[in-house]
Amino acid sequence: MRSFLPAVAEQLFRDIQKAYQETSQIPDDLLIALKFVFGPCALQALDLVDQHSVTCLSSPSGRKAFQVIGGSGRLYTCFVSCHYCPCPAFAYTVLRRNEGPLCKHILAVYLCQAMAVTQQESVSDPQMSTLLSGTAPL
Amino acid sequence: MADILTSVFRTFMSQTDVNKDVTMDPHSACSALLPGDSSVSSSVLLLGDSSISRSLLLLSAVMAASELGVRVVFFTQTQIQSLPVSLQKCVPSPESLKKIKFSYPRTLGDLLQQVAGLHESQNTSPTPPSLIIVDRLEGFLGRETTQRSPSSAPCRLIASFRSDVDSEHAGGESSATDPILDVLDRYFQMRCTLDRDRSYEAAAAGLKELWNVYLSATGITEDACPKEREDRPAAAPKEWQLSISPDGSMEFKMA
Repeated sequence: MRSFLPAVAEQLFRDIQKAYQETSQIPDDLLIALKFVFGPCALQALDLVDQHSVTCLSSPSGRKAFQVIGGSGRLYTCFVSCHYCPCPAFAYTVLRRNEGPLCKHILAVYLCQAMAVTQQESVSDPQMSTLLSGTAPL
Repeated sequence: MADILTSVFRTFMSQTDVNKDVTMDPHSACSALLPGDSSVSSSVLLLGDSSISRSLLLLSAVMAASELGVRVVFFTQTQIQSLPVSLQKCVPSPESLKKIKFSYPRTLGDLLQQVAGLHESQNTSPTPPSLIIVDRLEGFLGRETTQRSPSSAPCRLIASFRSDVDSEHAGGESSATDPILDVLDRYFQMRCTLDRDRSYEAAAAGLKELWNVYLSATGITEDACPKEREDRPAAAPKEWQLSISPDGSMEFKMA
């Protein structure tokens, strides 16, 4: 995932990736750092990771997109090339009020990538187009 | 960054400037822009008067197709009636024009669908487009504030946008207060602002219209690619002056 995050967040994901590779868990100090950097959505994102909610969809053309099953069971499509999530929290907290860099769904995608626990799924090119255009039935 | 726009400025530079500075050969400017080099991939939001920004977009499309030989997709809601006067003087070859595909989506939904489908095989023959241009983004957005940026490296993206706030205070610097523009800025690495020059000097230029052109990076670029900028031997000029003759031909000058 191409990153548009502050350096501190990127370093944090690298540390989590390293620690998780070695010990298969995230140490307490990194969990505290995660909470410090991302606030309340850190815990919610970790919940989503535990529930295996993140799937990476790939199409033959090489396009990729992430799908995250939200707390209410709704499916959110998050993009690889830019930070965007169709959830209300992203529209309000991130885009309108600029209070945080991302929502719990995008954070869950980053965490799953760092921990290498993303589910993988293949879709056809036309299916990918539907997903990317946001016209997919939710 | 903003490589294609910069090479447009250089190519259509006034002759006096070209003589002063031999390094400004348009071909050397373009040779640095090899398609596929992901370090130059960038997205630019072009702000300002719609008629001028459309001419600039068309010049960019033709430049990219003829000089770089890359495929271009040009999205606009209104039919292209004629090419900018500057292009009519040095007519691009029909072969290079064939590399530009004009597409006329009517609604935001149409635009999203067409952009989302660009990766499908019928749209990628022989190669996928390397430049996506969206004319008058505000026409698609309407009152909706949700916008999904179609950029994906190494494809470049240029979109033009005219802010409501801007048109109310022509030439003012109040554009930052437009909430839609605030959101758009997140998704574009560069901003190119066209601002009508209303100084005495401009008035003295007579029939010619003078515009100031500013290239500026948005916050995201500052954090994301510090290395890339250090590697660059000489920073591209950030300010240009555009003069438009009564016949519509455009000429750029470094400010």
